[in-house]
Amino acid sequence: MSERRPYTRPIDEDWWKKPPYLSYTARELSGIAVTIYGGVLFTGLFSLWRGPESYNAFLRFLQSPLSLLLNLLLLAVVVYHVVTWFQTLPKTMPKMIVDGKQVPAAKITQIATLAAGGSSLLLILLTMWVAR
Amino acid sequence: MSEAATLTKTVELRILRYLPASDESPSFRSFQVPYSDDMSVLQALQTIKDTLDATLSFRWSCRMAVCGSCGMMINGEPRLACNTFLRNLPPGPVTVEALKNFPIERDLVVSVGDFVKKIESIYPYIIPKEPKTVAQGTYLQTPAQLAAYESFSDCINCMLCYAACPQFGENPDFIGPGAMALLQRYNGDSRDGGQQKRLDAIAGEDGVWSCTAVGICSEVCPKHVDPANAINQNKTNSAFDFFLHYLRKDAAQ
Repeated sequence: MSERRPYTRPIDEDWWKKPPYLSYTARELSGIAVTIYGGVLFTGLFSLWRGPESYNAFLRFLQSPLSLLLNLLLLAVVVYHVVTWFQTLPKTMPKMIVDGKQVPAAKITQIATLAAGGSSLLLILLTMWVAR
Repeated sequence: MSEAATLTKTVELRILRYLPASDESPSFRSFQVPYSDDMSVLQALQTIKDTLDATLSFRWSCRMAVCGSCGMMINGEPRLACNTFLRNLPPGPVTVEALKNFPIERDLVVSVGDFVKKIESIYPYIIPKEPKTVAQGTYLQTPAQLAAYESFSDCINCMLCYAACPQFGENPDFIGPGAMALLQRYNGDSRDGGQQKRLDAIAGEDGVWSCTAVGICSEVCPKHVDPANAINQNKTNSAFDFFLHYLRKDAAQ
């Protein structure tokens, strides 16, 4: 007679709080900061559409200490999101084969991160040039 | 150090034991094993079975990280017992449990039936684009075409990636990292023409879409297969297929 009685262990509901999964959780949560950043941008566009008074109020809000603090915090979290996003990038794209050899994941991450940093800098310079 | 002095040093193994005939549920039991510098966790388990408790059950075969039989949780991490050395583990007791996310058959032995079914479900063989007779010669491949899928062919079916995957833990019907690596091994092969069949098999919640790119599957892989890459490439393929399948001539209605 078979003594088979497979035992199924209960699922660990808190897996996302523990390493090594915690870094995944942090990466995904940092996406919320990207949404909030988008929200700030859209609020600006909306107030621009509503007229000069509304837009000036928006600008005053941006210059307030609370907004500066919020933006600093958001910037830090978004930078974290960008960095970890590009660390994940090699896992999400088709293998890159150059000269019959696979391009290492670290190289892809490096190039993508530099490209993102470079284009952000370019955008800032362009904005400063337009606003001069 | 003399040999006698080396042998007096012992290491404690805390092993999650489960004997279906007598135990209601698994519980830990400790064993003291003579320690030596070159000892793997597998050797420690074999010492226990040979000298302390012959009822201890675990799977093993090759002892050199090729067969994929001895996957288990060592100090909470999915690892092969044969290439995990006691000297590399932190001092103190070593915890050994059956692979997470799988039902335990007995002690460190888990049920693999579902995994084998998943492997079978993705057409794990080359379906030639244009069938050739022997007289017509061999199928040729460039080094670049080989490199496109080669790493995925290194999978040894050890299931460590499944033990590392929280989404497989939540949904045991999820096709999972290992089977997807094997799928990409064939889908990425320039000689293969079975991509559509395999894509149809993995569309949906139990296919690629249970994956949330946690990525730990690739980190625990002892053969650097990168199953997370296989799954995420096929999320893209599956999404394209969803939008394009109405345009295909052979579209299933």
